[in-house]
Amino acid sequence: MSKTEQPTEIRTKPFRRLFSGEGWFGFMLTTPALVAVLIVVFVPFINSFWLSFQRYDLARPQNDAFIGLGNYIKLLGDPRYLGSLKASATFSLVSVVFEIVLGIGIAMVLNKSFKGQGFVRGLMILPWAMPSVVNAAMWKWIFNADYGALNALVTQLGIVQDYQIWLANPVASMSLLILANVWKETPFTAILVLAALQTVPEDLYESARVDGASAWQQFFLITLPLIAPVVMVVGLLQSIWGFHHPFELAYIVTGGGPYSTTELIPLRVYAQTFRSLRFGYGASIAYLTSLLLLFPALAYIRYSYKKVLEY
Amino acid sequence: MKIEKKGLFVLMILVMALTACAPKAVETEQAAEPVEADPEPTEAEVEAETEDPVVETETITVIFPKHEAEWADVYEPRIKQFEEETGIKVALIQSDWDSVADQIIPEMATGGSAYDVVEFDNGWVNEWCGAGWTTPLDDYMPAGFTDGMIPGLVDLFTCPDGTLHGVVWNNDTRFFYYNEAKLSEAGFEAPPTTWEEFVEQSQSAVAAGVVEYGMDPYWNQEWSLMNEFHFWTYAFGGEVVDKEGCFLFNTDPNTLAGLEFAIESLNNGVSNPAGMTYDQANAQNLFLTGNSLFFPQGISGLKPLADDETISSVAGEIEIGLVPAGGKSLTLPEAFAIPATSEHKEAAWKFIEYMTSVESNVVIAKEIGLLPIWTDLYTDADLTAQYPHWAGFYAQLDNVRGLSTLTWYGDFVDIGQTEFHKALAGVQTAQEALDNMASGLAEFECVP
Repeated sequence: MSKTEQPTEIRTKPFRRLFSGEGWFGFMLTTPALVAVLIVVFVPFINSFWLSFQRYDLARPQNDAFIGLGNYIKLLGDPRYLGSLKASATFSLVSVVFEIVLGIGIAMVLNKSFKGQGFVRGLMILPWAMPSVVNAAMWKWIFNADYGALNALVTQLGIVQDYQIWLANPVASMSLLILANVWKETPFTAILVLAALQTVPEDLYESARVDGASAWQQFFLITLPLIAPVVMVVGLLQSIWGFHHPFELAYIVTGGGPYSTTELIPLRVYAQTFRSLRFGYGASIAYLTSLLLLFPALAYIRYSYKKVLEY
Repeated sequence: MKIEKKGLFVLMILVMALTACAPKAVETEQAAEPVEADPEPTEAEVEAETEDPVVETETITVIFPKHEAEWADVYEPRIKQFEEETGIKVALIQSDWDSVADQIIPEMATGGSAYDVVEFDNGWVNEWCGAGWTTPLDDYMPAGFTDGMIPGLVDLFTCPDGTLHGVVWNNDTRFFYYNEAKLSEAGFEAPPTTWEEFVEQSQSAVAAGVVEYGMDPYWNQEWSLMNEFHFWTYAFGGEVVDKEGCFLFNTDPNTLAGLEFAIESLNNGVSNPAGMTYDQANAQNLFLTGNSLFFPQGISGLKPLADDETISSVAGEIEIGLVPAGGKSLTLPEAFAIPATSEHKEAAWKFIEYMTSVESNVVIAKEIGLLPIWTDLYTDADLTAQYPHWAGFYAQLDNVRGLSTLTWYGDFVDIGQTEFHKALAGVQTAQEALDNMASGLAEFECVP
């Protein structure tokens, strides 16, 4: 085989495999799913991306037109969008830090053998398994200024003297939204980290103990490097979800208030798209935010893999 | 092996094809049912079929909200009766207002035909009329159909071209409620007639330990916060926009006075500051625990709720008054409309006609105390015996007003709720809030 023929051979091989014998059958079986994915994911994706370059205002269709980057340029000077971006970044990053620290801690506890271990593991998944709307309604009741459980708890513990209107304070309301999110999402981190912990060979710890390594040294030099790939993936997922998922939580607990300080990106998209009926502008919020997330995400992946390889 | 795989593949294709065909099969089954049940129809049935052959087997999809006032199940039994009487099947979708709005608006805007009868909120009238999303009902309703309806409710759903596009199913007019027992305990014989008296009575009752606050407002940052903006504006005689949609809210001294009163009430002990985070249900619950003296904008069904000892601690204590200083009360009626794209307009009209009829109004009013849309029912002996407090509604009914009807109402709410909430929180003054609203909405100045 000549050098010039080789790449052609490599290129054609997968196609040959695809349309011969087993490959053909596999392809036929996956075709319906592939078509379904194309229809329900790819088409709306392209359609909404195209929409983001247009003024597509359902309440004022006479103004509809292709405006190129107009929506994106307008967004960069839109204080409500920038405020939402800041709120979402705060919400997502602080949540992720707590979810990872607590998730690793919980996973390490659950990795030990103790009586009722299975029951506790099952119990721990409950917050994550709870429907988001139920979770949000529960926290809204807990944070209620007049009859919420949080006020009862902190006043009875003597932490504060009087009942507080938590959700009327921008800092408190953002902190409590983060608390509610961490409570719900930490089990996901814990489950994945627990799975990773179970792959760490016990021999490594025994050798370390023989060498006189302390518990902290064992954690930082053995455990953390070995679970780092999983922690990295979880951290990335949670960061992205922090931007896109907490719609129900913010909508029900604060409604974006007080005075839009907890108006996370999904709420902004919702308000612009379904309330003001600016579908083009709403789409551009979603795409610009995704784009802004893409670069730090890529940098994070690159940095984290480098670290993992170093270990 | 190969045969097995091919067989599996064919089976899979068959299953998919059958699944895709399933809904059609159900429809055919439903359509065939009456024929199987009675293969030889009577003369009367044949006549009815000849008169209205399409409606017999039609299915219409109806979507409207389920509100907190609907504490007993009244609509479903009524709809079942409609199905029995007309033979038209109804696929009913009911959920909270926001969910309903989220389902309807994209469907209407994109020209979908999923619904035959839809919720038509009074805040949407201008927007929908302009976009041509609804069907003029004049082509379907009999002559003189609206005679006998409260004229204001007919006007609210009439488009600028003079055609009626919605018939009210929920006459959601708000009223001024007060706790007579606690007011008396605080040393006052009558509810306030001015806003100064409102403050004085509130502060006295709080000082005497009779109540915690003068009122529990519902000023959470949400869509309905701008309903409250309208109420306080109207209560002080203010204006939001003129007929051409030109801004008045940022220059009208009465609008400013209304907002300043609301803001000040949070500082002078009249309003519960927690109201900044409450929705209507939260605030209403607190009023029913006896936490406050006044509930300035309560639903018409609040009185029966307040008198129900199983859910209220103030049974027998609540009365209806007038908005102080001759202020207007808010009316937020919701209507049924037929989308322009509906393929079952005749059947949809029959549904609307049935559900908004005098008979349906009586049944629903008796069950949950919903206000009728027919003026004669306000003097109906049975209803007035059941709801003697309706007498208290009459004087206010002459002095009510709806929300601003603007094609840009969504933007008005989006910007207004943030600025109003910021002012309520004391972060900016009322005038700053109004100026910021005007600047944020500048592109809509003088757009109706």
